[in-house]
Amino acid sequence: MDMNSAVQTIKEPSKLSKRIKWLRDYYFKGTERKWNNEYSAWTTGTDWDLQFNELTYYIVPEIYAFLETYTFSIKQAAKKVDIPDYFFSKSIPERKAWFLKETVVNYLPQEILPGDLLAGAKFNLMTSMCLTEAEAKQRNKLVYGKNGAREQMKWFHDHGYGNSGATSGHIIPGYDRVLQLGWEGIYAEIDSLYEKLSDSEKISDKGAQLRAMMTSATLVKDLAEKYSLVAKQMAEHEKDAERKKELIQMSENLKNVPWKPAKTFWEALQSLWMTHMLVMSDENYPGPGVSFGRFDQYLLPYWEKSIADGMDREFGKEILKTFWIHANTAYDATIRVGANQGITAGYGQLITLSGIGNDGKDATNDLTYAVLEVIDEMSPILEPKPNVRLHRDSPKKLLDVVVNMISSSQGAPFLLNFDERSMAGMMREAKFNGLESLINESNVHEYSPVGCLENTMCGNDRSGTVDNNLNLLKAVELALTGGKDLKIFIDPITGKKGKIKQDGPNTGNAEKFKTWEEFLSAYETQTKYIVEKCVNLYEVSESIRAKFAPTPYLSCLVKGCAEKGLDVTQGGAEINFTTIEAVTYATTVDSLLAIKYLVFDKKIISMKELIEALKANWSGFEVLQARAKNRAPKYGRDDNEADAMGEYVMDVWTKETWKHKTISTNRRFRPGMLSWNYWVGDGFVLPASADGRTKGTFLSNAICPSNGADINGPTSNTNSVGKVLGGKKEKGDWKDFVNVLPNGASHTITFNPALIKDDSHKGNFEAFLRGYVENGGTALQINILDPEMLKDAQKHPQNYRHLLVRITGYNAYFTSIGRELQDEIIARVSHEKF
Amino acid sequence: MSTEDGPGIRTSIFMKGCGLGCTWCHNPESISFKSELQWLKASCISCNICIDTCSQNALLSSAKGIEINRDNCTACGECVEECPSAALEMLGQDTGVDELVKEVLKDRIYFEKSNGGVTVSGGEPALQADFTAEFLEKLKQEGIHTAFDTCGFSSKESYEKILPYVDLILFDIKEIDAEKHEEFTGKSNEKIFENLLYISGYIKNHKTELWIRTPIIPETTATNENIIGIGKFIAENDIQTTRWELCAFNNLCNDKYERLGKKWDFEQYGLFKSETLEHFTKLAKKSGVNPEIVISSGSVKNGAQLIKEINNEPKPVDYCKITGLLD
Repeated sequence: MDMNSAVQTIKEPSKLSKRIKWLRDYYFKGTERKWNNEYSAWTTGTDWDLQFNELTYYIVPEIYAFLETYTFSIKQAAKKVDIPDYFFSKSIPERKAWFLKETVVNYLPQEILPGDLLAGAKFNLMTSMCLTEAEAKQRNKLVYGKNGAREQMKWFHDHGYGNSGATSGHIIPGYDRVLQLGWEGIYAEIDSLYEKLSDSEKISDKGAQLRAMMTSATLVKDLAEKYSLVAKQMAEHEKDAERKKELIQMSENLKNVPWKPAKTFWEALQSLWMTHMLVMSDENYPGPGVSFGRFDQYLLPYWEKSIADGMDREFGKEILKTFWIHANTAYDATIRVGANQGITAGYGQLITLSGIGNDGKDATNDLTYAVLEVIDEMSPILEPKPNVRLHRDSPKKLLDVVVNMISSSQGAPFLLNFDERSMAGMMREAKFNGLESLINESNVHEYSPVGCLENTMCGNDRSGTVDNNLNLLKAVELALTGGKDLKIFIDPITGKKGKIKQDGPNTGNAEKFKTWEEFLSAYETQTKYIVEKCVNLYEVSESIRAKFAPTPYLSCLVKGCAEKGLDVTQGGAEINFTTIEAVTYATTVDSLLAIKYLVFDKKIISMKELIEALKANWSGFEVLQARAKNRAPKYGRDDNEADAMGEYVMDVWTKETWKHKTISTNRRFRPGMLSWNYWVGDGFVLPASADGRTKGTFLSNAICPSNGADINGPTSNTNSVGKVLGGKKEKGDWKDFVNVLPNGASHTITFNPALIKDDSHKGNFEAFLRGYVENGGTALQINILDPEMLKDAQKHPQNYRHLLVRITGYNAYFTSIGRELQDEIIARVSHEKF
Repeated sequence: MSTEDGPGIRTSIFMKGCGLGCTWCHNPESISFKSELQWLKASCISCNICIDTCSQNALLSSAKGIEINRDNCTACGECVEECPSAALEMLGQDTGVDELVKEVLKDRIYFEKSNGGVTVSGGEPALQADFTAEFLEKLKQEGIHTAFDTCGFSSKESYEKILPYVDLILFDIKEIDAEKHEEFTGKSNEKIFENLLYISGYIKNHKTELWIRTPIIPETTATNENIIGIGKFIAENDIQTTRWELCAFNNLCNDKYERLGKKWDFEQYGLFKSETLEHFTKLAKKSGVNPEIVISSGSVKNGAQLIKEINNEPKPVDYCKITGLLD
């Protein structure tokens, strides 16, 4: 959907000062701007040097075709940074740390936009890999060579398994420590750890890593000094007295932070922004998932102090608003891509708001509300993405604000996270892995989501939350075929045909299975196989990253790295999972339900006929397809029998996932459900499925029921989701809550605007959210239906069987009412937009 | 999930069978006590399996799709069972009380959090008084808030059975004039007013709450005399109601009639203008009842309710005068 057009009709910003309005308008001018934050590329100047680390994009199938282009066009565009003679005698992390610092401080310009209250602008970089010729040769062979990372990754995706790759971002750096200790304090810690090393350790990898981190820790000091000078010079030329004062204050702020601990709210935001933007520089990875954690908690002392010292609350919000503008400049990386000036919804520098606090009580505070006001006044704006944590004791005031924002925005301008279920998952991962000292009753409430909704701890946790995306449905296909692709792979670009091979274990000819249990046994074996296949593929990119692509600057901000002397890419973090995000969950559950119903329970058709139908993409089998779609039970209706299949699928795949660890970095695999956009794209890769889906149509999204399957409404849908996550037990993982997916699971529900049309209905909606806390999942995305969706529903009624249209005293399924009335409702809903 | 039939988030149960035959009825599928077959055009894949399945010769294929010969159809459900695309549906299911209680309790948490509960509606649930009473009794034992939606046309005994288990009664008064009432609904309103007086008397000694609802239907109940008359009746008889809701006509059930093979007298009518609904609401407030209990609900024609809220916000503080803007 074209974001701009949706934006203009849905919600407009309000209460913006002239400054913010200008900055915001300027930002949205996109490529017309004189200033931007597009990538700049930098090289050591050697013939073999490369910048683009494709491993981090293996989870983005859309760009597979351009990997080669990126690699070499960036190489060509790279400008030379003069390196000292001794450069290549140093370790890779030391070279990387030095190179980043040199580029940022001495090669990039330091710029402050008009009216801006925070400094820190150019950060989208493609920096040199800093490898020697021999290292580059070795790496390139592992990545581009025969059976290398790229080839294996492509095979995995082409054949419908999903994707996997060691990906950057998706972490909450220990920003709170920078505010409290300053980089000075962080530097001192690393230094003292280094001093404690023995001489032999000092010349080992460990010593090199710590030296690299010390170099990185001084980067901000030099950069802030330069920016301070720029602000000072601007102040000297400034004629407006007010602005002059601001620039002088900015210059003063930058003399102090981020090197020293922050003293004021303004300093804290300055420190936070500069520290954060350099993570994106260090990883050469703008935006995705580098998240802020509990923003309204660790910034609160500075907010309160500054307000007590006389800061106008609105001015505090004004600084926050400039922070928001800065966060959005991450999108400049791809400013020339696509129709919308490269602004996609795909980044996710997530901030967390509210949630349970230290004493088990609600932690909502004035800053929470101030941030929500900023979001409301700035919206539509994409970054940073907010996630509001709700729980049993969330205050009514917060829910009022949340529901009002939802109702005025035709959909939530934030995600909602649910503490009890989420914390149960965190407790579970601690229990399964002996991490109770790091995650326990006393601190589990300090968890935060990264990226969108992927739960991790803060400042010491990298759990690879987007690194593995596995299509569970592949196991159903392999169980039907005895371990082979159902259809021959044909390369969409070259048209070259592959061959059908025995890829998975031979679980026998499904046509000869006499019982449902035989089929299930084959399904379990194939699930085990696809999980292993994913684990093995991940190892390829993970081990290459660990050897050749350290991020010493980020490592300074992740507890465990300095202590272990290991980079965050080598498993340095104290908490160190990697996550398999299952895709196609409901499609898998519904496919199993359909096979059981059609072949074994009702005996409507033989397995042979079903397989033929799937091979034919249901063509010529329309009646059978209709039965699979409409007659077989489905997950998502609060039907205990169908949901039991959901629990079964969950049990099988999560158990397999927990069994594995990476070899190179010792990270255990944990389960989650995110799905990103794969449920759309991979719908064109995976063949027809037994639930009645044809190839080329959507798969199910994360933990959501299949499209249109949740015909019993939002409460039933929610109940099913909570149930398959483990529901409640007397002794749960956290209190009575169970959560088998510690990462969390993405859940989207679409509502009609009539549900929030007045105060009494808003009250009911709040009650629904409180019910969701008890019965639902870990995270919820709320969509309020809009005319575009209704128009789509007219075209594709099969996808919208669940869509209820509410007119007082009367409920109707949109797709079951006549065309004229549909048009009338569309007209009415459209009107409600303005 | 319903948010329109009583307070909070509710589950509404529609009981089949009604003693009235209101010409404007919005739930025509619940007038008959029998199960009724319906065909959903949007879901049909034209496989004609249903025609081969039907042993009563009640189905045939026409240019419009599947036609149901209702004289032949015995609602045996065989075609529903065989229809691959769920295009044939049986309206009305036999269920046991315990089964139904178990089903509605799945949403208990949402009732609790919203002060909602379960509403029994119809049709006329008082006509299945034993079932309704037992169902509501079990819900009360579970601590669930119960609402009972009635047209008032049933025996006093049936109300005696049900009322002890009801927290909220939604009582319809459609038309004050007895003759007109008979014309619109097929029955006189005499018994309905008797029952209302009985219920109002009952409420005086019980915690049960009463809401009165009046459908405002074009060219029938939507008259000044009717609204004033109903208001007077409520006031003069000291009816113990805490809400009198005027429910605006809507035309969304057109296709329900079509699917049931029935003709609806109101298919040509659109929504009210907002002024019209406002007019009746004003009349109701002046009719002698406590004006605070009068509310109106339902959709009206585009326009009035959709006026953009005027931006009445204070001007933002300007913290700086931007100088040297980039072009």
